Amino acid sequence: MRRPVLAALRADLAAKRPVVLVTHLGTGEARPVHPFDGDGEGVAPAVLEAARLAAQEDQSRAFESPEGRVFLRVYNPPVQVIIVGAVHVAQALAPMVQLVGYDVLVVDPRSAFATEARFPAVPLSTEWPDEALAGVGLGRRTAVVTMTHDPKIDDPALEAALRSESFYIGALGSKKTQAARRERLAGRGFDEAALARIHGPVGLSVGAVSTAEIAVAILAQVVACLRRGPAAR
Amino acid sequence: MLAAGAGGPVSAEDLYHEALVRLAQEAVGAGALPAPVSGAAPALQGSATVDNPLCGDRVTMEVRVEGGGIAALAHRVRGCVLCRASASLLGRAATGLGTAQVEAARGALSALLREGTPPPPGPLAGLDVFAPARASPSRHSCVLLPFDALQAALRDALARAFPQRDTR
Repeated sequence: MRRPVLAALRADLAAKRPVVLVTHLGTGEARPVHPFDGDGEGVAPAVLEAARLAAQEDQSRAFESPEGRVFLRVYNPPVQVIIVGAVHVAQALAPMVQLVGYDVLVVDPRSAFATEARFPAVPLSTEWPDEALAGVGLGRRTAVVTMTHDPKIDDPALEAALRSESFYIGALGSKKTQAARRERLAGRGFDEAALARIHGPVGLSVGAVSTAEIAVAILAQVVACLRRGPAAR
Repeated sequence: MLAAGAGGPVSAEDLYHEALVRLAQEAVGAGALPAPVSGAAPALQGSATVDNPLCGDRVTMEVRVEGGGIAALAHRVRGCVLCRASASLLGRAATGLGTAQVEAARGALSALLREGTPPPPGPLAGLDVFAPARASPSRHSCVLLPFDALQAALRDALARAFPQRDTR
């Protein structure tokens, strides 16, 4: 790999921006393509579309393009699930996220809850969510789930998530809680389309009863949105 | 003043009454102190951040002391309306107070919250805006947190001014 290409890939990964290296197998010419936020960067529309699909599915592969056979090498930043609220469901969800192979971060400024004893081997932050999220950086591979039931903690996290490209935003709480939350966020200037990005009540409908089952329902929804795109509800 | 019965539940309307919400919104003293001017006589300046581990409220208080009293203070609050109103009240009333007076103010506030004791007249009379919180013991720490931060910031200022020297 040529040094400028390597540098470009590294910069993209540091910025948590998915990138696909398109290598023409006839000529050996390689160029990084941003499948979601580029202008195509000079590749044929069919190649861009194939790169998008490959990135979505996390699958590097060869592709027969109109200009010859190319290899699509996917460089995706790691998926990270940020859980706001070091609550019971979070205690079940965090290790499940790690089992699936995603990064996890539990954020809760209430330091009595965000303790290593309650979350062994789980990265924790006791900063306020907007500060913690700004430090982490949110991108297309980030999921944010709020769980504290306390607007002063949940809302700043949701606002940060809504201003980002996070592929998943979920908020624990009843339908009544969700309605009040929508009203507050609308008052902060978020329109209907933005609010529709929030999954709430959170999780796929699997009839979850226990805290661990609720965690399964949430993680299943995260996976669905990651793999099927925003259409998965 | 609003009646604050101890023991009985307090409604959100009573707890977050108009004067309290207005005080929180005014956020008197919110911000940061300018850095001490170099070359000028070294001022007594200190800061402290305290938080409530159970609700996440967090207060950073900066204070400058001159002539034994608070010359200026600034605070940054992440917290509920009660906590922000309390910091705002300090921004309005704490200038000129000495360490002992701040301690007395915290004592008066604690007595108000726990026993309903009316605050003494003077700069502390405004404390009674927190009287309705008496009925919500779990919220007392929200009101007291900015006072704790101010006391810690004053201790920090003193510690900076008089660092321990080895005695010969």
